[in-house]
Order: sequence, then structure tokens, then C-alpha cells
Amino acid sequence: MSIVRPIDFIVTHNLELRPAGLDPRDFSLLVAGFPNTRVLLLDPALPADQQEARLKAFLHEKARSPVVLAAMDPQTRGAVTLKLLLEKFQLNPELLTVVDLQAALENPDPKTRTLKALDLVRLAAVRVSRAVPLGSQEVPVSRRVLVWGDSYPALKAAGDLADLGYPVILATPHAPLSPLTPSAPQPQSPPEPLAALLQHIQDHPLLRPVTAAALLGFEGVTGNFTIRLCTPVGPLKEQVGAVILAPELEIAEAPERYGLPLHPRILSQTRLEQVLASPKEAAAMLDPQTEQVVVALMVGLAGASYPPALRRALSAASRLLNRSNCQVYLLVGDAKVAEPGLEKFLRQNQDAGLVLCKLSQLPEVTLKEDRPHLTFFDPVMRESLELAADLVVYEEAYRAASGNAELARLLRLQPAPLGFLQGDNVHNLPVATCRRGIYVVGPARAVMDLEEGLAEADAAVLAVQSLLGPGVASAPLGRAQVDRGRCVLCLTCYRLCPHGAIVYDSRADIKELACQGCGVCASECPNDAIQIRNCTDDQIRAHIRTLNPQLAPRLVAFMCRNSAWEAYQAALKLKHAALPLGFTAIKMPCAGKIDMDYLIRAFTHGIAGVLVLTCHPDNCKSHKANDHARWRVAQAQALLAEAGIDPQRLLYKSLAANTPQDLLDAVAQLRAYL
Amino acid sequence: MAFFNEKPVVVLGGGIAGITAALELAHLGLPVALVEKSPFFGGRAAHFACKATDTCQKCGACLVEQRLRDLIQESGVTLYPHTELIQAQRPDGLFHLTFRRQPQRIDPHRCINCGICYDECPAISQQAILTGSSPAQHPRYAINPAGCLYFRDGSCRICQELCFPKAIDLDRPETTFTLEAPALVLATGYQPADPRSRPHYGYGFLPRVITGWELEQRLRDGAALEIPGNGRPARSIAFIQCVGSRDQDHPYCSRVCCAYGLRLARLIRHRLPECRLATFYMDLQNIGLDAQRFQEEALAEVKLIRVLPGDVATAADGTIKLRYLDEVSGQALSTAFDLVVLAVGIAPGPENPRLAELLHLDLTPEGFIRSHDDLHRTATGQPGLFLAGTVEGPRSIAECIAQATAAVQQVRNYLEAAS
Ligand SMILES: Cc1cc2nc3c(=O)[nH]c(=O)nc-3n(C[C@H](O)[C@H](O)[C@H](O)COP(=O)(O)OP(=O)(O)OC[C@H]3O[C@@H](n4cnc5c(N)ncnc54)[C@H](O)[C@@H]3O)c2cc1C
Ligand code: SF4
Ligand code: SF4
Repeated sequence: MSIVRPIDFIVTHNLELRPAGLDPRDFSLLVAGFPNTRVLLLDPALPADQQEARLKAFLHEKARSPVVLAAMDPQTRGAVTLKLLLEKFQLNPELLTVVDLQAALENPDPKTRTLKALDLVRLAAVRVSRAVPLGSQEVPVSRRVLVWGDSYPALKAAGDLADLGYPVILATPHAPLSPLTPSAPQPQSPPEPLAALLQHIQDHPLLRPVTAAALLGFEGVTGNFTIRLCTPVGPLKEQVGAVILAPELEIAEAPERYGLPLHPRILSQTRLEQVLASPKEAAAMLDPQTEQVVVALMVGLAGASYPPALRRALSAASRLLNRSNCQVYLLVGDAKVAEPGLEKFLRQNQDAGLVLCKLSQLPEVTLKEDRPHLTFFDPVMRESLELAADLVVYEEAYRAASGNAELARLLRLQPAPLGFLQGDNVHNLPVATCRRGIYVVGPARAVMDLEEGLAEADAAVLAVQSLLGPGVASAPLGRAQVDRGRCVLCLTCYRLCPHGAIVYDSRADIKELACQGCGVCASECPNDAIQIRNCTDDQIRAHIRTLNPQLAPRLVAFMCRNSAWEAYQAALKLKHAALPLGFTAIKMPCAGKIDMDYLIRAFTHGIAGVLVLTCHPDNCKSHKANDHARWRVAQAQALLAEAGIDPQRLLYKSLAANTPQDLLDAVAQLRAYL
Repeated sequence: MAFFNEKPVVVLGGGIAGITAALELAHLGLPVALVEKSPFFGGRAAHFACKATDTCQKCGACLVEQRLRDLIQESGVTLYPHTELIQAQRPDGLFHLTFRRQPQRIDPHRCINCGICYDECPAISQQAILTGSSPAQHPRYAINPAGCLYFRDGSCRICQELCFPKAIDLDRPETTFTLEAPALVLATGYQPADPRSRPHYGYGFLPRVITGWELEQRLRDGAALEIPGNGRPARSIAFIQCVGSRDQDHPYCSRVCCAYGLRLARLIRHRLPECRLATFYMDLQNIGLDAQRFQEEALAEVKLIRVLPGDVATAADGTIKLRYLDEVSGQALSTAFDLVVLAVGIAPGPENPRLAELLHLDLTPEGFIRSHDDLHRTATGQPGLFLAGTVEGPRSIAECIAQATAAVQQVRNYLEAAS
């Protein structure tokens, strides 16, 4: 057993351990028998000052040695103790390990309970005795921010940041700035508060608007990106600390979506809005002299449709209904009413005479006597109807900015649906991307109401502020370390880092402001040149070596701390969780750090079964680190099969933090197999 | 920071919106008080199930879990559980807020969550002891004076006697206290719409008709999908959308029920591949970032029927018969299901009228708190008072997070301007 340096052990106990079948005094004595170990028995229900006094007597002035805190449900019951340790005694969090004795207390007889409890704390001690405190550093960062795009959320973010004293480059391919209000008639002159936004950014001393710009280059990492822009007045190279992306949507007529013939009486929504805005055109198209003018608006019948399109159709409908001779039909597939006030607006229009026809297919359009005729099946009348329309109006396509693909490539963002810029992962919500310091708001991530986009601009401004602060950012020191002698410059880590945290200066160089410590690089480096502090290969191997093969059946689970570890903590609190005596959970910073070597080593150490438990696909905080883990399991299974070990002893499962039952099922499945 | 103030910004309501606001404020270095009416933080969304099938369905429920954990560990936020606002004044720009706090009758430092109190309480059916849903909520149990016999007539103190770590003290007194706050964020949330507003669906007297809210909780607790009163796994389940949305009393779309309804249906399909699933709806709203793809995938697993059933009846074999008009043939069809789930929507919080009166805010005709700026829905008519989350209108977890973050930015701007 290798506890390589002195450990301070704290067993917290009030009244609960003894009735649960573990005598705290006997247990403490046994722990004190470990080499290099001192033990304190502490009551977590004591008032904070009394706890502090006891800890003071035990730990001296400041905690220097690693601490293992063992208790029943230590996170919540030991909350006061933990807080004291970290804040009053300034224990480095890396030197603190918490053991929930619950995992031992489930065992039926006292002897195995003690055995298991000792195993749990021994493993914790072995690992934490090799821990190195993690420092922190101040990283100088550029306070300049690039805001890309000319949507209102972009303008708001740029203006707010400049107001807060951050120099801003507001760059957009458009010239002049042409922000949209997605649910208002197009093109429109902006209403008052938005016009003020436009004005504000024009004459702000800290804000440089660059129109007709193209992004040519993007390098560096969080806090210190280098951007190269091509502008009408020449190239521009700047250092920026953060980037907010908010390129405007494109609203395209796209008549092909509706398969409509070219005809002067078949209009796009924008065309209709222009007609309505011009009394002359309106008079020509919607002749006020005729008895009845029939207008058919089509929404949500072909391709993607969004609430702003419905709102525009309804606004046009209510204007049309104000003309005494207009008969207005709204032909919809699914009415996308999921924005504030839209359902009401629809009802108001219906009350004012709008005829709503819900169709399941595109109507057929034919031209007869210079009028478009629409044929469709009306589910209410239960018959096929033919409508001779004076005007047929189709909704337009709302699309992500066409330059997004190039932008995503340059900025090394993970792929996103429908040409937007935010990877489809809930951990990115609301405005984050896989790269720290690059934020996406409003039309950069989805079609949404302007109000939501503006709220996201607020969120992004807040994030930029807390990242860049006054020009220095704090980052951990020494979390991911490259052994420069071993790096063979293969670029594997650079390609695979999901957070874009690695640069090259003759060797791989990991920038700690951007690094999230997932460990994908460390696991994939072909020459083992990268180590993640406190999850080093040495530490994990020591952990595996210390597993006591006598506790049967010996099962090991490598758990991502974001999902499986949480589910495990929750499972311990379920009644009758009853995990097998020999079950050991190993907490990993991310599935990305589960090396194949660990899996094989576990089997050579005589472990009966190994579980690899990660977040669900699309739910990994490090993009596809969970897939990497799954692939490694497949490789390891192949190797095991070659070596004559049943590959099914190695099981991969994905689960979520809130599904403890899934965890128990996975363990039960492997156990049943064995 | 120039506007740094000793007095805490108060966040009212500890759901996802309130938690997000509190955490973001604390990250700015501002002292925060998070006040929650119930004994547990997390709000409604802390009761939801993960809806992942083989892959994550992006429902956002796990985000609540994570923030709840962050909250417990955040020392900048002072937590006031089981605390109600009873008085509010603003004589001098500061909010003077008076609260009534239920004592922690179960001492968190002593309680070990053994559950004896819950197991042995004779008045559990009156909800004398409330339980939390997440391990981050500690203690997992709380005494509810409204149901507890001791508070009714002093006839019972079984839990206090049985609790061996001596965590329970039923005699701890309530307290009243006042906070002076430079700014206030209102995040008191919503309540699931009452399914009885559509009485013809038979909720309340047909045990096989349950709400989406109940289904979420059941799935979270890992319960099997059994037919109530019969114990067999359900072989057919129908979802009925828009219950308590888009009708005369609720003239708005609740924006989340198409999403959670279909995600739940797909989850069940994944767990019970033999189960027949149907969703009755009016209009499907966009779900997820790539809505069309989601819809196509869902279509392969769930029968989508674009009409709401007119009539619900129990068949002789106990199944629920739904009658509806077929969109294409126009014929009245009738299909039997083992279980019917009503996808209830988001109704205004029950306390909105009281809060509006206390804080001099307006209500919308639907009963949500009215925002005074369509472009900044966090804004109220009063400087320094901001809205976050479903208190202002229906939104999803992700949208609550975005809006709460925006509210924090507004608080910050306000405090900076005020100092
Ligand atoms: C059945 C159902 C399923 C859903 N599923 C999903 C889903 O899968 N994904 C998704 O994104 N959204 C879903 N939603 C929506 C989701 O529930 C909401 O978006 C979210 O919970 C709103 O959070 P909130 O903080 O605004 O309100 P709440 O969760 O209601 O929190 C408000 C908190 O304030 C407290 N409070 C109330 N009054 C007071 C007072 N006077 N003083 C102090 N505190 C008070 C309450 O006790 C509560 O804890 C679903 C909704 C329903 C009905
Ligand atoms: S640990 Fe993860 S985030 Fe850090 S450099 Fe390696 S791959 Fe990137
Ligand atoms: S389905 Fe929902 S709860 Fe489950 S992992 Fe995905 S977002 Fe989280």
C-alpha cells in the first residue's frame, strides 16, 4: 500500500455511524494504523467555531498535508467542515478528497462493512497522497472585443461593452449596417429604441464599426486571439480577448420552397409588405373598387417555419382585413405560435374575419384567367376547395448567415445544425461555444424573437466581462502539462482538443485559460507527453494497483465526474442501492481522460469487470470526449479478445447526472454477466 | 467595484431562473440573498426526468441539477429556504422586505436523510413531511406545518422521538426578519396548468389519465410505466397536447409542452419498444435547434395525430377510449389506450396577484407579471426591480437561464448608475 506522504484524516461523525454498523472509534483506530496517517474524529453538527477550534488543534495554522474527509453524506452534512477547511484553513481543493462511507454501510455484516470502509479510504488516501496543489495565475489578456455581425443583438453587445470601457471592433460583411427585426415587416425603418442603438454605436469613441469586412485569419487562444480582417480601407490585424458572434439572419424569398410559378400576383411576404407600404401599389394590386379581393397567405407548408414568419403574415393579414373589401385566408401547416402574444394575435385576426385553413399538404397552384387558383383539401369542410385568389403570398425562408460555415472553420467551432454557429449541446446554453471566450448570441444560434436575442446579448456581455475583467484573467496553473522532451509534434492534441486550447511553439503548448482539463489530449497523445495534474497516469495506476482483489466481485467503474459520478452520488442516497462489495468508482475529470491503458491494466491486475460510464452522446461538455471513450472501449475489447479475456467484461454505458437508476442498472448488468 | 454594496441583492424564487440570477450576481462579487418559499431549492424543473434515449434529447433538465450543486457550494449566496415575503416597502430607494421564515425543524447538520420521519409519519397523506427530489437538496425532508398533526392539535411528535441523531425539533419558532435590498429580482415561477380546466378529459376521476407533470416525476423516480391500479406495464400511451394552453382561459402557447411531450414519448418508446405511442396536437411547435429533423425522427416512433380528442371514456377492459375526427377521412375514430398523459402547460404562479400588489407591479390579462418593455422583458415599471423566468410568461429552462442572466446584467447596470 503506498500512501506516499503524510495524510490528515478527518472522520466526521455525530450519531449516525454506530447505528449504521460502523463503530467510528474502532474505524478511526484502524485508519490511524495506515502508515503516514493522523486521524481526527469530528462532530459535523458542532457549531462552526467549535469545529474550527478542533481543526486548528489538529491541522496547525494552515493545512499543508492532503486531507481525506470521510463521513456519511459528507458534501451536505459536512458542509460546514468543508467550508472551514477550504476557506479558513486555505486547503488547496486538489489536496482534499471526500469519501462517502455510505458505499460501505450498505453491506450486511459488520466485518465487510469495516473492510469496505477501509478500502474506500485507503484508495482515496493513495490517490490524494500523490496530489499536487493546483496553483493559479494571472494571465494578461487583451480587453479588446470583436463583435461579428450587424444584427441588433450584435449592436447591443458592442454598444454595452464599449459603455463598460472595452474597446470594440464591430465587423460585418454588410455595408451599410443592415440589422433586421425578424418579426416586423421587411425592410423596415427601425422603431425608436432600435434606432437609438444604431446611433449609439456610430459615434462611440471606443467602438470601431468596420463594414464590408471579411475575416481572413483567426489564431491564438482565449484572451489573446489574433484576428486579420480585410476591410475596404485595407487589412486590419488586431489582438482581441474575446469574440461575440451575432451575424444577421438571411431572409430569402426562396419561392422554390413552395414550388410556385412566376406570376405578378404571387408574392413573397416581403413583396406584400412593400405593396402595403405604398398606397399606389396597394391600390393597383388590391383594387378598392372591386367588391371582393381574395388574398391567400401561406405559412408553414414547406420546409422550416418560425414564429417570426407567422407574426409577419398576421400583421399583414390585419392590415388587409382593415380594407373593407379584403377576404383573407391563412393557409398553414403547423401554426408556430410559440412566442409571446402570437396565439392572441391569431385569434384577434380570426375574430376580424381571417379564415384559417389548416392543411397537411401544399395546395396545388394553377393559373386561370390571370388569377392564381389554389386547390386544397379543407379538413373542416371535408372537401376539396378551389380558391381563386387575387394575391397569393408565401412565407420566406429564414436562414443562418451564409458566411457561417467559413466563420466556424476559421474559429474552429464544433459543427452546428442548419448552418448556425452553436454546437447542439445543452451545456453551451445560452451563449457559450466549445471555445472559451467565443460567444454566440441571437441569430448566430437560432431563429428567435428579437427580445430573446437582446437578452442573450446581455448574457454574452456579462460573460465577456467576467472573463476579461480589467485586463487580467485568472487561470489554473499547471493543470495540463506537456513534457516538451516527449512531444513529437504530431499535432494530435491540437486537432483533438475540443476547446481549442493548444497552440504550437516548436512543441505543443497548452493555454490554461482555455483548457478545461478534460484530458482528451493526454489520452490520445501517442507518446504520452501530456499529463493532467492529479489525474496523472501514475496516480491512476497507483489507484488500480491498490484495489484489493479480495473484495469480490472486483468491479471498477471509470466515471465522468459530470454525469456518472453525480449519478453515483445520488445512487448512494437511494435506499437499497446495494452496490456489490467489490465495486469501486474512480472519478475522472471527463470521459476523455479514460485511457485505454487503464482499462487493460485493470484486467491485468485481476479485476473481474470494468465499466466505462460517460455522459450521453451530445451531452459531453467536451464535445465528443465521450465518443473517444467509447471508441477506446471498442479497441480495448478487441485487445482483450486477442489476449483471451472475454471482452464483455468491459462495458460502456452513457447516462446522465439525474439518473442514478441507470447507474445501478449498468452495474447490475455487468454483474449478472459475470 | 464602485457600486459594491454591503446590502444584498434579493432574488425571490429559487427555481432555475432564480438560481441562475443568484449565481451570476455572486460571480460579479455582489452579496446575494436567495429567498425560496418552499423548503427546497430547484423549483419545478428539479423534478424532471432525463429524457435521453440513446442520445441526449436536449431537454435541459440536467442543467438544473448542475446549477443546484453550484448553488450549494457558492459562498456568496445566502440561502433562505421556506421563507415568504410578507411586506415590501421602498421609502428611500432601497427595498425594505419583510420575510417570514419557517425554522429548519430538521437540523441540516444533524439530519442524515435516513427517512425514518417520513416512513413513520401518520399524516403523510396530508403532506406533513415534504421531500426533495435531488441529492443536492439537504435535508431531503421538511416538516410542513400545514399538514403536521403536531401543529394541528399537538397530538403527535413521533418523528421527533424517532429521529436518532436528534435532528428534529418541532418547537423551533418561526422568525420574521427584514432585508434592505438595493435591487430585487423576481423569479417566482409558474404552476402547471390545471388539467381540470378541460373536464372532458376526465382528469381526477379516471386514474389512467395523468398529467405530464406527474409523468416527469414518475420517470425521474425511476418508476416503471405501470397502468395505475393494475400493475402491468402500459402497452399503449396517448399524449394530449395543449391542456391549459391555447384555449379560452389560456389564450397563449405555453412553448414547452410540445417539446417535453414528444421527448417523453420518445423516451418511453426507447424504454418500452413494444409500447404504442400517439400524440394528439393542434400545431407542433419547433423542438430543438433542428426542429424538422426532430419531427421526422419522432414521426418514426410516435403516431402524430393533428386533432385533439373530443371525448374520453373508459372501456369495459379499463382502457381509455379516445374519440377523435380523423383529419383525412373525416370519420370519427376511437382508439383505446392504457394510459393517457395530458401535456399541461404553464399557468401563472398562484401568488402573482399578491406579489403584484405587494410590489406594485401589473399583471397581464393572463395573470403573469407584466413586463414594461417588449424588447427587455426583464424590465418592470420600477427601476431596480427585474423579472426572470416564467413569472413573466412561458419559457423553457434554457430561455429562463438566458433571461435570468440578462436580468443580472440589468441589475448591474442599475446599481452602477445608482452609485
Ligand atoms: C410538465 C412540464 C414539463 C416541462 N419540461 C421541460 C423540459 O423538459 N425542458 C424545459 O426546458 N422546460 C420544461 N418545462 C418548463 C420548465 O418547467 C420551466 O421553464 C422552468 O421550470 C421555469 O423555472 P422558473 O425558475 O421560472 O420557475 P419555477 O421552477 O416555478 O421556480 C420558481 C420558484 O419560486 C418559488 N416561489 C414561488 N413563489 C414564491 C414567493 N412568493 N417567494 C419565494 N419563492 C417563491 C417556487 O417555490 C419555486 O421554487 C416543463 C414544464 C412543465 C409544466
Ligand atoms: S485537457 Fe482538454 S481542454 Fe485541456 S488541452 Fe487537453 S484536450 Fe484541451
Ligand atoms: S436528455 Fe435532458 S436531462 Fe438527459 S442528458 Fe439530455 S439534456 Fe440532460
